[in-house]
Amino acid sequence: MKKIIYLILITFSGIVSFKTVEPLFVIPKGWQKPTYNFTENILTKEKINIGRSLFYDNILSKDNSISCSSCHLSYTAFAHTDHDLSHGIYNRIGSRNAPALFNLAWSKKLMWDGAVNHLDAQALAPIHNKDEMDETIAHVVEKLNESILYKKLFLKAYKDSIITGEKTLKCIAQFLITIQSFNSKYDSVMIHQSSFTNQEANGYQLFQKNCSSCHKEPLFTTFDFETNGLKVDETLNDIGRMKITHDIKDSLKFKIPSLRNIEFSSPYMHDGRFKKLMDVLNHYTSSIQQYNNLPESLKKKITLTSNQKVDMIAFLLTLSDKHFLFNSTYQFPKKILLNPSKDK
Amino acid sequence: MRLLVTLFLCLFSTICLAQQNCTIKFHHLFKDKILKLEEEYILQNMDTISIHTLKYYISIIQFLKNKEVVWKEVNSYHLVDEENIKTKEINLNKIPQNIEFDAIQFNLGIDSTTNYSGVRGGDLDPTRGMYWTWQNGYINFKLEGKCSVCNTRNKVFQFHIGGYENGFSTIQNIIIISSNNKVLEINVDIEKLLSIINLSSQNEIMQPSKEAVEIANKLPILFRIK
Repeated sequence: MKKIIYLILITFSGIVSFKTVEPLFVIPKGWQKPTYNFTENILTKEKINIGRSLFYDNILSKDNSISCSSCHLSYTAFAHTDHDLSHGIYNRIGSRNAPALFNLAWSKKLMWDGAVNHLDAQALAPIHNKDEMDETIAHVVEKLNESILYKKLFLKAYKDSIITGEKTLKCIAQFLITIQSFNSKYDSVMIHQSSFTNQEANGYQLFQKNCSSCHKEPLFTTFDFETNGLKVDETLNDIGRMKITHDIKDSLKFKIPSLRNIEFSSPYMHDGRFKKLMDVLNHYTSSIQQYNNLPESLKKKITLTSNQKVDMIAFLLTLSDKHFLFNSTYQFPKKILLNPSKDK
Repeated sequence: MRLLVTLFLCLFSTICLAQQNCTIKFHHLFKDKILKLEEEYILQNMDTISIHTLKYYISIIQFLKNKEVVWKEVNSYHLVDEENIKTKEINLNKIPQNIEFDAIQFNLGIDSTTNYSGVRGGDLDPTRGMYWTWQNGYINFKLEGKCSVCNTRNKVFQFHIGGYENGFSTIQNIIIISSNNKVLEINVDIEKLLSIINLSSQNEIMQPSKEAVEIANKLPILFRIK
């Protein structure tokens, strides 16, 4: 019996020591189970690498001029600083703000209106959108199959050099999944390794009272769709989720974005109308439009003094995650894409 | 060793013998004539029409006996494309010899579970041009062409019929009565659809909608045993 226990212990310690290699994906302590089905797309270093290369490669766009990273920059939480609406090839302008990207394994539906129900299918939207990459997945796959670099990478990852739409999209999804943010000051306060200043603590209380029903911790979103009482921009006339469901109840509903790294993901809202966090808070306290389908939490007026707003912003800044923002494994893969032997 | 090989061969052949294959052939027609892409046809109301694309998904093929499923194909997703003759024949393999059936059932289109499970390979690969991208989901049935009454650019009509949620489900279940265990020949007569659509007012469906559901509901009548 003792022998068996020893054996189990040895095996277990073996597994533990093996696990000390940097994991490809982490479920932070206390977080719910991710929604992404990992069994259908098992993460490997090689596939994540392909996804990362594709994310930074202009090959995804029709004229090979832009990549995902043109609108999703790692240093700004993968959002597009200073651009209210997304930019595409030939200087075309899209109709919505490029959102920040992180913790996507927990997402339910993607895009501001939930048009895409699975992360694996998400990249198809910007690739095919006329105002973004204006390309087709069939042609992207054709281009990849002509690329010596990608043939090599796929051969290594799949033991098969034939590149398909499925493989291409699943690799992109693998990279997106590994973009994780859970090392902000807020996170370290939650595990008692740090503490809020008085101002931040006050801001946190105000946040919990006024914002947390939609921006639920620890992801700071429920990933649901709500209207937040914004006046309709008549140059866009964007009806939001209703475009997908054709249901009047979904009129002007957009996906609730996470507030993590909000310091860096300006401009804010689905159409990037607000440049500053103070503009956002002022909207919630003073200019909510009384639509019938407002969530309960916005039906009653939110009152915040200007000092309270400053405190709230102090708290929101604790959601910035430097480990995430400057993580070199999320950045342009120089070794792969700038390799002199790279041949397209 | 030789004995082993012989034994293995015997075993292998018995397994093979114990299985049967069945082929489903789709014949695309315009009225009673074999459909040819780009050829001009005349509709009942004398409008001129030509077809550019006809593609659809056949999925979850099952054999029925007294309305009970007695066999179903594994990973059963087939894209039938008029332009690609090979796709118009679906070979069903590994059907046990002793299976008796009196009907074949399949879906025209892709089920919602598959539509919720991300991208897939083979005939379901999004590169096949049967996947929406601005809003994800498979196009179950695609029919494109030109008609003299369409007041669209180049007189084109485009029906991309799909949708699986929000009350816009377009998948159709089709049952063909047949006990032929070798070849099942199915006529797909698109004139039956085109003659009941008013192409001057309805000529473009490109998203899940009430209109798409209405067209989808009419599709089963096109599929008839030869």
